Amino acid sequence: MGLLSRTTTFVRYSAEGELPGNFWEFAAERIAKFSFRDIDDTFDEYSIGWVSIDNMFDSSFAHASYAVGDYIVLSMRIDERKVSKTLLQKYSRKEEERIKKEKQIPRLNRSHRVRIKEDIRLQLVKKSLPVPAVHDLCWNLANNTVMFFSTSTKAQSVLEDFFKECFGLTIILQVPYLAAAHLLDVSGQERLQDLHPEILV
Amino acid sequence: MDLVDIISEKRFLGQEFLTWLWFKSEERGGSVFLPGAGDIQLVFEKHMLLESGEGESLEKLICRGPQTELQEARTGLLMGKKLEQARIYLAKGDYEWRLTFGATLFEYRNVSLPRTISPNDEAADPLAWEAKVLERVGMSEEALHTMDELFRMFLQIRASADWSQELARLKSWIAKGAEN
Repeated sequence: MGLLSRTTTFVRYSAEGELPGNFWEFAAERIAKFSFRDIDDTFDEYSIGWVSIDNMFDSSFAHASYAVGDYIVLSMRIDERKVSKTLLQKYSRKEEERIKKEKQIPRLNRSHRVRIKEDIRLQLVKKSLPVPAVHDLCWNLANNTVMFFSTSTKAQSVLEDFFKECFGLTIILQVPYLAAAHLLDVSGQERLQDLHPEILV
Repeated sequence: MDLVDIISEKRFLGQEFLTWLWFKSEERGGSVFLPGAGDIQLVFEKHMLLESGEGESLEKLICRGPQTELQEARTGLLMGKKLEQARIYLAKGDYEWRLTFGATLFEYRNVSLPRTISPNDEAADPLAWEAKVLERVGMSEEALHTMDELFRMFLQIRASADWSQELARLKSWIAKGAEN
Protein backbone atom coordinates (compact mmCIF):
# COMPACT_ATOMS: atom_id res chain seq x y z
CA MET A 1 0.00 0.00 0.00
CA GLY A 2 2.18 2.75 -1.33
CA LEU A 3 1.90 6.49 -1.61
CA LEU A 4 -0.37 6.34 -4.66
CA SER A 5 -2.56 3.43 -3.49
CA ARG A 6 -6.17 3.97 -2.53
CA THR A 7 -5.26 3.35 1.11
CA THR A 8 -1.75 3.79 2.41
CA THR A 9 0.34 2.45 5.26
CA PHE A 10 3.36 4.28 6.62
CA VAL A 11 5.77 5.03 9.43
CA ARG A 12 7.90 8.12 9.93
CA TYR A 13 11.66 8.46 10.19
CA SER A 14 13.81 11.46 10.98
CA ALA A 15 16.98 11.91 8.93
CA GLU A 16 19.97 12.89 11.02
CA GLY A 17 22.69 15.11 9.61
CA GLU A 18 23.17 18.17 7.45
CA LEU A 19 22.17 18.20 3.79
CA PRO A 20 24.91 19.40 1.44
CA GLY A 21 24.61 22.99 0.10
CA ASN A 22 24.26 21.84 -3.52
CA PHE A 23 21.63 19.35 -2.44
CA TRP A 24 19.77 18.77 -5.72
CA GLU A 25 23.01 18.07 -7.61
CA PHE A 26 24.09 15.74 -4.82
CA ALA A 27 20.70 13.99 -4.82
CA ALA A 28 20.71 13.59 -8.63
CA GLU A 29 24.15 12.03 -8.56
CA ARG A 30 23.37 9.67 -5.65
CA ILE A 31 19.98 8.59 -6.97
CA ALA A 32 21.47 7.83 -10.41
CA LYS A 33 24.29 5.86 -8.81
CA PHE A 34 21.90 3.85 -6.64
CA SER A 35 19.14 3.42 -9.21
CA PHE A 36 17.79 -0.08 -9.78
CA ARG A 37 19.68 -2.47 -12.08
CA ASP A 38 17.66 -5.26 -13.64
CA ILE A 39 18.85 -8.84 -13.03
CA ASP A 40 16.31 -10.65 -15.24
CA ASP A 41 18.98 -11.49 -17.82
CA THR A 42 21.73 -12.36 -15.34
CA PHE A 43 22.20 -15.00 -12.65
CA ASP A 44 22.56 -12.39 -9.89
CA GLU A 45 20.67 -13.31 -6.75
CA TYR A 46 19.81 -9.86 -5.48
CA SER A 47 19.42 -6.30 -6.71
CA ILE A 48 18.28 -3.18 -4.87
CA GLY A 49 17.85 0.35 -6.16
CA TRP A 50 15.61 3.37 -6.68
CA VAL A 51 12.80 3.50 -9.24
CA SER A 52 9.97 5.92 -9.93
CA ILE A 53 6.97 5.65 -7.59
CA ASP A 54 4.83 5.74 -10.72
CA ASN A 55 6.46 2.84 -12.54
CA MET A 56 8.74 0.14 -11.15
CA PHE A 57 10.36 -0.27 -14.60
CA ASP A 58 11.42 3.39 -14.74
CA SER A 59 14.81 3.60 -13.04
CA SER A 60 15.96 6.61 -15.05
CA PHE A 61 12.95 8.70 -13.96
CA ALA A 62 12.25 9.47 -17.61
CA HIS A 63 8.48 9.74 -17.13
CA ALA A 64 8.10 11.05 -13.59
CA SER A 65 10.64 12.96 -11.57
CA TYR A 66 11.65 12.06 -8.02
CA ALA A 67 11.69 15.82 -7.22
CA VAL A 68 8.21 16.99 -6.26
CA GLY A 69 8.11 20.40 -4.57
CA ASP A 70 10.21 20.22 -1.41
CA TYR A 71 10.02 16.44 -1.42
CA ILE A 72 11.93 13.54 -2.89
CA VAL A 73 9.62 10.65 -3.74
CA LEU A 74 11.18 7.31 -4.60
CA SER A 75 10.44 3.62 -4.60
CA MET A 76 12.99 1.20 -3.24
CA ARG A 77 12.83 -1.85 -5.50
CA ILE A 78 14.32 -5.16 -4.41
CA ASP A 79 14.50 -8.11 -6.80
CA GLU A 80 15.55 -11.39 -5.29
CA ARG A 81 15.87 -14.94 -6.59
CA LYS A 82 14.53 -17.14 -3.82
CA VAL A 83 14.79 -20.89 -3.36
CA SER A 84 12.29 -22.64 -1.15
CA LYS A 85 13.71 -24.70 1.71
CA THR A 86 11.66 -27.72 0.66
CA LEU A 87 13.08 -27.66 -2.88
CA LEU A 88 16.63 -27.19 -1.60
CA GLN A 89 16.25 -30.10 0.79
CA LYS A 90 14.73 -32.38 -1.84
CA TYR A 91 17.42 -31.81 -4.49
CA SER A 92 20.28 -31.86 -1.97
CA ARG A 93 19.10 -35.24 -0.65
CA LYS A 94 18.66 -36.51 -4.19
CA GLU A 95 22.23 -35.55 -5.06
CA GLU A 96 23.54 -37.10 -1.83
CA GLU A 97 21.80 -40.37 -2.70
CA ARG A 98 23.25 -40.31 -6.20
CA ILE A 99 26.81 -39.84 -4.92
CA LYS A 100 26.45 -42.52 -2.25
CA LYS A 101 25.27 -44.98 -4.83
CA GLU A 102 28.00 -44.02 -7.27
CA LYS A 103 30.78 -44.32 -4.68
CA GLN A 104 29.23 -47.32 -2.94
CA ILE A 105 29.48 -45.67 0.49
CA PRO A 106 26.84 -45.72 3.26
CA ARG A 107 27.06 -42.03 4.19
CA LEU A 108 28.69 -38.72 3.38
CA ASN A 109 30.55 -36.58 5.88
CA ARG A 110 29.13 -33.23 6.99
CA SER A 111 31.43 -30.97 4.99
CA HIS A 112 30.61 -32.90 1.82
CA ARG A 113 26.87 -32.54 2.47
CA VAL A 114 27.30 -28.79 3.09
CA ARG A 115 29.17 -28.46 -0.22
CA ILE A 116 26.45 -30.37 -2.08
CA LYS A 117 23.77 -28.19 -0.54
CA GLU A 118 25.54 -25.00 -1.62
CA ASP A 119 26.05 -26.32 -5.18
CA ILE A 120 22.38 -27.27 -5.42
CA ARG A 121 21.32 -23.90 -4.02
CA LEU A 122 23.31 -22.11 -6.72
CA GLN A 123 21.81 -24.30 -9.43
CA LEU A 124 18.28 -23.64 -8.16
CA VAL A 125 18.94 -19.89 -7.81
CA LYS A 126 19.93 -19.76 -11.48
CA LYS A 127 16.67 -21.45 -12.44
CA SER A 128 14.42 -19.23 -10.37
CA LEU A 129 12.97 -15.89 -11.51
CA PRO A 130 13.67 -12.72 -9.49
CA VAL A 131 10.75 -11.80 -7.22
CA PRO A 132 10.21 -8.02 -7.02
CA ALA A 133 9.20 -5.99 -3.96
CA VAL A 134 8.60 -2.25 -4.13
CA HIS A 135 8.33 0.16 -1.19
CA ASP A 136 7.65 3.89 -1.57
CA LEU A 137 9.20 6.67 0.44
CA CYS A 138 8.70 10.41 0.65
CA TRP A 139 11.51 12.57 2.02
CA ASN A 140 10.38 15.96 3.30
CA LEU A 141 13.43 18.18 2.84
CA ALA A 142 11.93 21.07 4.81
CA ASN A 143 11.85 19.17 8.11
CA ASN A 144 14.16 16.26 7.16
CA THR A 145 11.63 13.52 7.85
CA VAL A 146 10.97 10.47 5.72
CA MET A 147 7.64 8.71 5.37
CA PHE A 148 8.19 5.07 4.48
CA PHE A 149 5.19 3.23 3.13
CA SER A 150 5.66 -0.15 4.76
CA THR A 151 5.37 -1.58 8.26
CA SER A 152 7.48 -4.63 7.40
CA THR A 153 10.40 -4.68 9.83
CA LYS A 154 12.54 -6.43 7.21
CA ALA A 155 11.85 -3.74 4.61
CA GLN A 156 12.48 -1.02 7.21
CA SER A 157 15.81 -2.54 8.13
CA VAL A 158 16.85 -2.73 4.46
CA LEU A 159 15.78 0.89 3.92
CA GLU A 160 17.79 2.13 6.93
CA ASP A 161 20.98 0.57 5.51
CA PHE A 162 20.29 1.53 1.89
CA PHE A 163 19.39 5.14 2.69
CA LYS A 164 22.62 5.50 4.69
CA GLU A 165 24.66 3.95 1.89
CA CYS A 166 23.06 6.18 -0.74
CA PHE A 167 22.76 9.57 0.97
CA GLY A 168 25.17 9.19 3.90
CA LEU A 169 22.41 10.05 6.37
CA THR A 170 21.15 7.92 9.24
CA ILE A 171 17.39 7.63 9.49
CA ILE A 172 15.75 6.84 12.82
CA LEU A 173 12.26 5.41 13.24
CA GLN A 174 10.12 7.90 15.14
CA VAL A 175 8.74 5.71 17.91
CA PRO A 176 6.69 7.62 20.54
CA TYR A 177 9.59 8.45 22.89
CA LEU A 178 11.68 9.92 20.06
CA ALA A 179 8.70 11.69 18.46
CA ALA A 180 7.97 13.22 21.88
CA ALA A 181 11.42 14.82 21.99
CA HIS A 182 10.51 16.88 18.89
CA LEU A 183 7.23 18.03 20.44
CA LEU A 184 8.40 19.19 23.87
CA ASP A 185 10.63 22.01 25.07
CA VAL A 186 13.81 21.25 27.02
CA SER A 187 12.14 21.09 30.45
CA GLY A 188 9.40 18.87 29.01
CA GLN A 189 12.02 16.52 27.57
CA GLU A 190 13.71 16.28 30.97
CA ARG A 191 10.41 15.40 32.64
CA LEU A 192 9.76 12.85 29.90
CA GLN A 193 12.90 10.92 30.86
CA ASP A 194 11.55 10.41 34.38
CA LEU A 195 8.16 9.05 33.36
CA HIS A 196 7.29 5.49 34.30
CA PRO A 197 4.39 3.26 33.23
CA GLU A 198 1.11 4.17 34.89
CA ILE A 199 -1.40 1.73 36.27
CA LEU A 200 -4.68 2.75 34.66
CA VAL A 201 -7.08 0.74 36.84
CA MET B 1 19.85 4.01 24.92
CA ASP B 2 19.53 2.26 21.53
CA LEU B 3 16.30 1.99 19.59
CA VAL B 4 15.51 -1.56 20.73
CA ASP B 5 15.80 -0.51 24.41
CA ILE B 6 13.73 2.62 23.79
CA ILE B 7 10.98 0.57 22.14
CA SER B 8 10.91 -1.93 24.97
CA GLU B 9 11.34 0.44 27.95
CA LYS B 10 9.18 3.29 26.66
CA ARG B 11 6.50 1.12 25.08
CA PHE B 12 4.03 2.37 27.66
CA LEU B 13 4.14 5.93 26.32
CA GLY B 14 2.37 5.16 23.04
CA GLN B 15 -0.09 2.74 24.63
CA GLU B 16 -1.03 5.19 27.39
CA PHE B 17 -1.46 7.90 24.74
CA LEU B 18 -3.84 5.77 22.70
CA THR B 19 -5.87 4.82 25.79
CA TRP B 20 -6.01 8.47 26.86
CA LEU B 21 -7.08 9.44 23.32
CA TRP B 22 -10.02 6.99 23.48
CA PHE B 23 -11.01 8.56 26.80
CA LYS B 24 -10.72 12.12 25.39
CA SER B 25 -12.77 11.12 22.37
CA GLU B 26 -15.61 9.78 24.53
CA GLU B 27 -15.41 12.56 27.09
CA ARG B 28 -17.08 14.97 24.65
CA GLY B 29 -18.98 12.53 22.45
CA GLY B 30 -16.36 12.13 19.72
CA SER B 31 -15.15 15.70 19.70
CA VAL B 32 -11.70 16.77 20.87
CA PHE B 33 -10.52 20.37 21.20
CA LEU B 34 -7.17 20.76 19.50
CA PRO B 35 -5.35 24.01 20.39
CA GLY B 36 -4.89 26.08 17.24
CA ALA B 37 -7.39 24.04 15.22
CA GLY B 38 -10.54 24.03 17.35
CA ASP B 39 -12.82 21.01 17.65
CA ILE B 40 -11.98 17.96 15.58
CA GLN B 41 -13.99 14.75 15.30
CA LEU B 42 -12.23 11.68 16.60
CA VAL B 43 -14.04 8.39 16.97
CA PHE B 44 -12.69 4.95 17.85
CA GLU B 45 -14.40 2.37 15.71
CA LYS B 46 -14.57 -1.15 14.34
CA HIS B 47 -11.25 -2.58 15.40
CA MET B 48 -9.07 -2.66 18.51
CA LEU B 49 -6.11 -4.67 19.70
CA LEU B 50 -5.19 -4.81 23.38
CA GLU B 51 -2.12 -6.41 24.92
CA SER B 52 -0.84 -7.49 28.29
CA GLY B 53 2.38 -9.12 29.43
CA GLU B 54 5.65 -9.37 27.55
CA GLY B 55 7.66 -11.97 25.66
CA GLU B 56 6.26 -15.46 26.07
CA SER B 57 3.53 -14.27 28.43
CA LEU B 58 2.25 -11.72 25.88
CA GLU B 59 -1.52 -11.95 25.53
CA LYS B 60 -3.51 -10.25 22.79
CA LEU B 61 -7.18 -9.41 22.63
CA ILE B 62 -8.67 -8.44 19.27
CA CYS B 63 -12.08 -6.75 19.23
CA ARG B 64 -13.91 -6.15 15.96
CA GLY B 65 -17.40 -4.88 15.26
CA PRO B 66 -19.53 -1.76 15.54
CA GLN B 67 -18.79 0.69 18.28
CA THR B 68 -21.45 -0.63 20.64
CA GLU B 69 -19.58 -3.93 20.74
CA LEU B 70 -16.34 -2.55 22.09
CA GLN B 71 -17.42 -3.82 25.49
CA GLU B 72 -14.78 -6.55 25.45
CA ALA B 73 -12.12 -3.91 24.91
CA ARG B 74 -13.40 -1.85 27.83
CA THR B 75 -13.35 -4.92 30.04
CA GLY B 76 -9.84 -5.62 28.78
CA LEU B 77 -8.72 -2.19 29.97
CA LEU B 78 -10.20 -2.91 33.38
CA MET B 79 -8.24 -6.18 33.45
CA GLY B 80 -5.04 -4.16 32.99
CA LYS B 81 -4.59 -4.73 29.26
CA LYS B 82 -3.12 -1.86 27.24
CA LEU B 83 -4.53 -0.48 24.02
CA GLU B 84 -2.00 -1.24 21.27
CA GLN B 85 -3.91 -0.61 18.06
CA ALA B 86 -7.18 1.07 17.13
CA ARG B 87 -9.15 2.08 14.06
CA ILE B 88 -9.80 5.80 14.24
CA TYR B 89 -12.12 8.10 12.31
CA LEU B 90 -10.69 11.60 12.16
CA ALA B 91 -12.39 14.69 10.74
CA LYS B 92 -10.77 18.10 10.65
CA GLY B 93 -12.34 20.97 8.74
CA ASP B 94 -13.64 19.60 5.44
CA TYR B 95 -11.45 16.52 5.46
CA GLU B 96 -11.92 13.00 6.82
CA TRP B 97 -9.42 10.22 7.44
CA ARG B 98 -9.77 6.66 8.61
CA LEU B 99 -6.65 5.00 9.92
CA THR B 100 -5.44 2.15 12.09
CA PHE B 101 -2.96 3.53 14.58
CA GLY B 102 -0.29 1.29 16.14
CA ALA B 103 0.79 2.67 19.51
CA THR B 104 4.21 1.12 20.12
CA LEU B 105 5.83 2.16 16.84
CA PHE B 106 3.44 4.94 15.82
CA GLU B 107 2.41 3.02 12.71
CA TYR B 108 -0.30 4.34 10.38
CA ARG B 109 -1.99 1.41 8.67
CA ASN B 110 -4.73 1.28 6.04
CA VAL B 111 -4.99 5.04 5.96
CA SER B 112 -7.91 6.16 3.90
CA LEU B 113 -7.14 9.72 2.81
CA PRO B 114 -9.77 12.46 2.33
CA ARG B 115 -11.55 12.54 -1.00
CA THR B 116 -10.67 15.69 -2.84
CA ILE B 117 -11.90 17.31 -6.02
CA SER B 118 -8.77 16.81 -8.08
CA PRO B 119 -9.03 14.24 -10.88
CA ASN B 120 -7.75 10.80 -10.00
CA ASP B 121 -6.98 9.72 -13.53
CA GLU B 122 -3.75 8.36 -14.93
CA ALA B 123 -2.37 11.83 -15.36
CA ALA B 124 -0.15 11.98 -18.42
CA ASP B 125 0.51 15.64 -17.77
CA PRO B 126 3.57 15.89 -15.46
CA LEU B 127 2.11 18.88 -13.64
CA ALA B 128 -1.14 17.04 -12.93
CA TRP B 129 0.85 14.02 -11.74
CA GLU B 130 2.95 16.22 -9.46
CA ALA B 131 -0.19 17.86 -8.08
CA LYS B 132 -1.67 14.44 -7.33
CA VAL B 133 1.49 13.31 -5.51
CA LEU B 134 1.70 16.55 -3.51
CA GLU B 135 -1.94 16.26 -2.55
CA ARG B 136 -1.52 12.70 -1.25
CA VAL B 137 1.68 13.60 0.58
CA GLY B 138 -0.02 16.66 2.07
CA MET B 139 -3.03 14.66 3.26
CA SER B 140 -0.79 11.96 4.77
CA GLU B 141 1.28 14.62 6.54
CA GLU B 142 -1.87 16.34 7.81
CA ALA B 143 -2.90 13.08 9.52
CA LEU B 144 0.59 12.83 11.03
CA HIS B 145 0.51 16.45 12.14
CA THR B 146 -2.91 16.08 13.77
CA MET B 147 -1.81 12.96 15.67
CA ASP B 148 1.38 14.84 16.66
CA GLU B 149 -0.67 17.66 18.14
CA LEU B 150 -2.86 15.20 20.05
CA PHE B 151 0.28 13.46 21.30
CA ARG B 152 1.72 16.84 22.37
CA MET B 153 -1.51 17.51 24.35
CA PHE B 154 -1.12 14.15 26.06
CA LEU B 155 2.58 14.68 26.84
CA GLN B 156 1.98 18.13 28.31
CA ILE B 157 -0.57 16.69 30.74
CA ARG B 158 1.30 13.44 31.35
CA ALA B 159 4.50 15.24 32.37
CA SER B 160 2.75 17.88 34.50
CA ALA B 161 1.32 18.18 38.01
CA ASP B 162 -2.19 17.99 36.46
CA TRP B 163 -1.66 14.34 35.53
CA SER B 164 -2.95 12.97 38.86
CA GLN B 165 -6.35 14.62 38.27
CA GLU B 166 -6.44 13.51 34.62
CA LEU B 167 -5.47 9.98 35.69
CA ALA B 168 -8.34 9.90 38.21
CA ARG B 169 -10.81 10.85 35.45
CA LEU B 170 -9.27 8.27 33.10
CA LYS B 171 -9.55 5.52 35.74
CA SER B 172 -13.14 6.49 36.46
CA TRP B 173 -13.95 6.30 32.70
CA ILE B 174 -12.34 2.83 32.46
CA ALA B 175 -14.31 1.62 35.49
CA LYS B 176 -17.62 3.01 34.15
CA GLY B 177 -17.01 1.64 30.66
CA ALA B 178 -16.68 -1.89 31.92
CA GLU B 179 -19.85 -1.62 34.04
CA ASN B 180 -22.13 -0.65 31.10
